[in-house]
Amino acid sequence: MRASHQFPGGKGDVRDDMVQMVAREAKAANVDLDIQVYPGASLFKAEQQWNALVNGQLDITLFPLDYASGQVRAFSATLMPGLVRSYDRAKRLNESQFMKDIHATIEKAGAIVLSDAWFGGGMVSKRGCILEPNDVKGLKFRAAGPTFAQMWQSAGASIVSIPSNEIYNAFQTGVAEGTDTSMGSFLSFRLYEQAKCLTAPGTNALWFMYEPLLMSKKSFDKLDKKQQDVLIQAGKKAQKYYEDKAESVDEATIKAYKDHGVEVKTLTDAQYNQWIEIAKKSSYAEFAKDVPDGKKLIDEALSVK
Amino acid sequence: MEQFAGAVRLISRLCGYFAAALIAVSVVIVCEMVFVRFVLNENTIWQTDFVTYSLVAATFIGSPYVLMTRGHVNVDVLPLYLGARKRWWLALISMLLAMAFCVTMVVLTGGYWLEAWNQRWLSNTMWRVRLWIPYASMPIGLGILTLQYVVELYCLATGREPPFGMGKERRA
Amino acid sequence: MSPSTQGVIVLVVTLAVLLSGAPVAFGLGALSIAFIVIFQGFGALHVVAETFFHGLNDFTLVSIPMFVMMGAAIGSSPAGKDLYEALDRWLYRLPGGLVISNLGACAVFAALTGSSPACCAAIGKMGIPEMRRRGYPDDIATGSICAGGTLGILIPPSITFILYGIATETSIGRLFLAGVLPGIMLTLLFMLWTLFIIWKRGFRSHALDFRYSWKQKFQSIPKIAPFIVIIIGVMYALYGGVATPSEAAGVGAAMCVLLAVLIYRMWAPARWWAILRDTTRESVMILTIIAAAVLFGYMLTSLYLTQTLAQAIADMHVNRWLLMGMINVFLLVCGFFIPPAAIFLMTAPILYPIIKAAGFDPVWFGVILTINMEIGLIHPPVGLNIYIVSSIAPDVPVTRIMWGTIPYVLCMMLQIVILCVFPEIATWLPDHLMGITH
Ligand code: NA
Ligand code: NA
Repeated sequence: MRASHQFPGGKGDVRDDMVQMVAREAKAANVDLDIQVYPGASLFKAEQQWNALVNGQLDITLFPLDYASGQVRAFSATLMPGLVRSYDRAKRLNESQFMKDIHATIEKAGAIVLSDAWFGGGMVSKRGCILEPNDVKGLKFRAAGPTFAQMWQSAGASIVSIPSNEIYNAFQTGVAEGTDTSMGSFLSFRLYEQAKCLTAPGTNALWFMYEPLLMSKKSFDKLDKKQQDVLIQAGKKAQKYYEDKAESVDEATIKAYKDHGVEVKTLTDAQYNQWIEIAKKSSYAEFAKDVPDGKKLIDEALSVK
Repeated sequence: MEQFAGAVRLISRLCGYFAAALIAVSVVIVCEMVFVRFVLNENTIWQTDFVTYSLVAATFIGSPYVLMTRGHVNVDVLPLYLGARKRWWLALISMLLAMAFCVTMVVLTGGYWLEAWNQRWLSNTMWRVRLWIPYASMPIGLGILTLQYVVELYCLATGREPPFGMGKERRA
Repeated sequence: MSPSTQGVIVLVVTLAVLLSGAPVAFGLGALSIAFIVIFQGFGALHVVAETFFHGLNDFTLVSIPMFVMMGAAIGSSPAGKDLYEALDRWLYRLPGGLVISNLGACAVFAALTGSSPACCAAIGKMGIPEMRRRGYPDDIATGSICAGGTLGILIPPSITFILYGIATETSIGRLFLAGVLPGIMLTLLFMLWTLFIIWKRGFRSHALDFRYSWKQKFQSIPKIAPFIVIIIGVMYALYGGVATPSEAAGVGAAMCVLLAVLIYRMWAPARWWAILRDTTRESVMILTIIAAAVLFGYMLTSLYLTQTLAQAIADMHVNRWLLMGMINVFLLVCGFFIPPAAIFLMTAPILYPIIKAAGFDPVWFGVILTINMEIGLIHPPVGLNIYIVSSIAPDVPVTRIMWGTIPYVLCMMLQIVILCVFPEIATWLPDHLMGITH
């Protein structure tokens, strides 16, 4: 079987670790499961993985589900401003109706979830800290995806589109002055050399992205019960591994930014609520317009305590 | 057959004009994007998508024209050293090989286009492009490319064109 | 079947298909599909269309047609002639001054175009007839232009750097900067060799008493001013926060077209079409190979051939410089048969992990790889530049052109050795301007 992901292989990236862990567990169980891991988008480009997965050409993958939002519009809910808020709440969200609906959508499209994983992120800026909507006015902003772009745009930012391998360059020369992404990417993009301030997740994060460990339903159905159980158990183990490690990944990023003299801030409740008001008018409204049960999904997520 | 060949050549030429136009428009749009962002400091959302997909389309649609004008590079060591008869057979084989690829790709890209059309796929970028539009360039371009290959094959078989375009004069 | 057996089969069949004379793009595509079906079954074809499309679905590739257009616009105007005439007025007293001027013009032109054929054709069209008219030996007249043309991909902007940057996720801006000093050095090496050989053969381009007046010298300067303006404009766009490298290409292309239209008064639609036609033909050719090479790369990775090869090389535990030597010989041999863009696309993903594992700087290696590809451009049997020059001077036998290029091939090999001994020549400028990030 083939597993693929877009993250660097063998260098301690937690997402690579998760996939490798499942491959190891499957082999150790001695049920004739051999998983070959292709890291670093060496087999499929990141955005190709979804189609390959549902067609059964790829058996296992871990990727930002939002990448498939062009195929399954509801997946936009997994990269939506303010829906998750914190790692603790992410765990409660995993048990909610919202995630039951997302899992059902994934399964209907032809994949099953082995591990749930929410990755926190934030914003960096070359100008100052991004705390309130006013802070992005006129800022040249590179957004991680359409839903966030709608919110930044609504708050007065100028949206620029730049390929991810040119972000550092764009920051250095000033083609872009602000961007949002996961804490892991903030570290690998080395933006601490260019940024003035990082807005980290804390207890009021706007930015969370769902990157599940998925398996092709076609491949899964070909396995016998014993093999299926092994994979499900391995997935649970990988999820637990990630949950224990998530915050230390973020701390490594925060440390790197602080070491380079970058200010690191988190949002207060009041600031968070200001953003939610903007998101309601922009990202949430657009989503509800695009997706038949979009409003229901957002309400379900927001209602989680 | 002569009329068919003429018609295909005309279509290939039109494809060339279309691809050239897409490239020219892309240059203008890139400059517009830089201006809008650097001078006006406003949103630039659709431009990168537009330019990217235009150039993908230019590649596929422009391909028959480039084939007609012998612009696709090949390794011509072997043809150069072969005698006229063997060279003709080699030209036939390599043409059939390339044609087989084109026909297969028409089928595969056609199916892919149909999926995008039926399931209303959108790009995962901010502009949310309906993907059947850029995807359509593949079956169309490769389809015309196949027709152009039929013409090339006809010209080779009837001796209207020397194998690999290697006539008396050295090729450029 | 083990990956190594599969690998041998794939290698042999690939060479056979490439040698059959089928277009490289369609040959690679056909091979990929055939091997996918043979080794993985018909079901595996489901990903082919998507892989083919996604090979091109990358904004960074936009710079390729743009940099080609820069070359086409300048190349179809008398700008190349102006450039080397101006240089000749300043350099005519050197032995071989005209050759030196041509090489200088190639270097300046290289800073405006990303592709070698464009560079070779633009300067060669004016330079070669002029040199031969003044009695320069054919091998030097043609060989120097073949070699000078290759600078197009070493001196930024450069299509091979863009392809390398995309394939290995290395910063393209950094690669561009890394090419500057080696590019200038290689130009100087070419010039030194030319000075030497011309001096040895006792040849002068002008009569001993021939003089350009200072007035004539200074009158020539405005003619190269537009070049300088465009180069500065593109550099400012690139490093001044106006545009990303991909976008700067578009700005540069627009500036070159404007130059052709405003200064050289190319109003006629036929001439516009000539620029666009050349741009379309070369870009479509390169981009089609890219799409096919991505498919080919998918096939290799999917059959686990790339990884097997990389592992095999890693397991040999050879000295890293021996490894570097082997890689260069391997690339040179590839360069005998396959055009540079295709080699880059096929080998960069395989070689990159090996290079990283052996502790070499990927940016530095991008420069080495590019110089190696330059050799392939003027090396028989498939030297693209040789054929371009041959079409400019059809009465010079191809073998004579090839002999003329040999000394320049040696210059390039020397440059590779110099870069291996002093990697800083490539890495200093990007490190200095962009900070050390590795
Ligand atoms: Na160049
Ligand atoms: Na060659």
